[in-house]
Amino acid sequence: VIPEFAEALAGRLGFDRSLSRAVRQEVEDHLWEAAAAELTDDPLEAQRRAIAKFGDPRAIAREIAAVALARSARRLGVAAMLVIAIVFIAMKARLTWYAMAHWPPLDRMAWLGAWVASIDRYAFWSAVCASVVGWLYVSRQRAPANGCVVDGRRVRRFLILCWGATSALIASVLSDGVLTSLRLAFAADLADWSIPIVSMVIEIGCAIALVVCVRGIARRATYGAQAG
Amino acid sequence: MEGEMLKGHLDLIVLAALSPGPAHGYAVIEEIRRRSANRFNLAEGTVYPALHRLEESGLLSSRWLVADNGRRRRVYALTRRGMRSLAQQRAVWDEFAIAIGGLLGASPRASAT
Repeated sequence: VIPEFAEALAGRLGFDRSLSRAVRQEVEDHLWEAAAAELTDDPLEAQRRAIAKFGDPRAIAREIAAVALARSARRLGVAAMLVIAIVFIAMKARLTWYAMAHWPPLDRMAWLGAWVASIDRYAFWSAVCASVVGWLYVSRQRAPANGCVVDGRRVRRFLILCWGATSALIASVLSDGVLTSLRLAFAADLADWSIPIVSMVIEIGCAIALVVCVRGIARRATYGAQAG
Repeated sequence: MEGEMLKGHLDLIVLAALSPGPAHGYAVIEEIRRRSANRFNLAEGTVYPALHRLEESGLLSSRWLVADNGRRRRVYALTRRGMRSLAQQRAVWDEFAIAIGGLLGASPRASAT
């Protein structure tokens, strides 16, 4: 009876395998000890009593899921800012390299370059603002609320900010891609392409990583809401 | 004691139950029962979300051990922050208890005069 109960509870936390496994072991350990303490000679009856005293598995799973989700959200807040910082460094490194290598400014199609650069600027700083606001918003959850589950609405609002930051970052990276392509298209020396290409690969990789992380948390939030 | 009333103070209760030393979930519940003289009638499972939440808040730490029966067991302990938090919450609670005790202890006649 006990393994089935523990499995049912852990199954509700299936969106996070390590959490699910840990909770299963913890609950099973608890229930076996509680059953051993029951004053009855019937082991099955002892297990049933231990389970009855344990409480509603749905409510317990829902609260544990909310704690885990809040932890993941806080980590995502930090990760989003790190990813944006890496994109910024890659961007700055490329521009510094253009200056050091004496690459000529975009003379041909300068109007397009200026237009895309302004999109890039606004998109990037929008991503920075959204991620900082998101991190501040979600990190305020750290203080424990006595007996209250972590507010799921807060996580949902945080996810909206994360998607906003991610979309803005993608727009910024795409703009960087256009600007880099323009530079490379009119570059005289093909041997000097490595730094711009590597920096663009880093930016694209960062944007993809952020999409994957935000999507992962969004899925967890969905499964976590279903845990109860 | 009323379940909702208990739930509102669950974090303090769990921190206090861990103040003698590290313990696993079942031992925490036993300690709560023992120190409250069986007055707290909590569903045993409700202590686990509280343990996870307190660990997430940095007030508890946990590690896995292998018990004598061979089962893996998660043991929780108060962190320094948890000890400070417990001391603060205890002081707040003491003041609250004195205030409520004063209010409820006063007879209607004494209150009227």
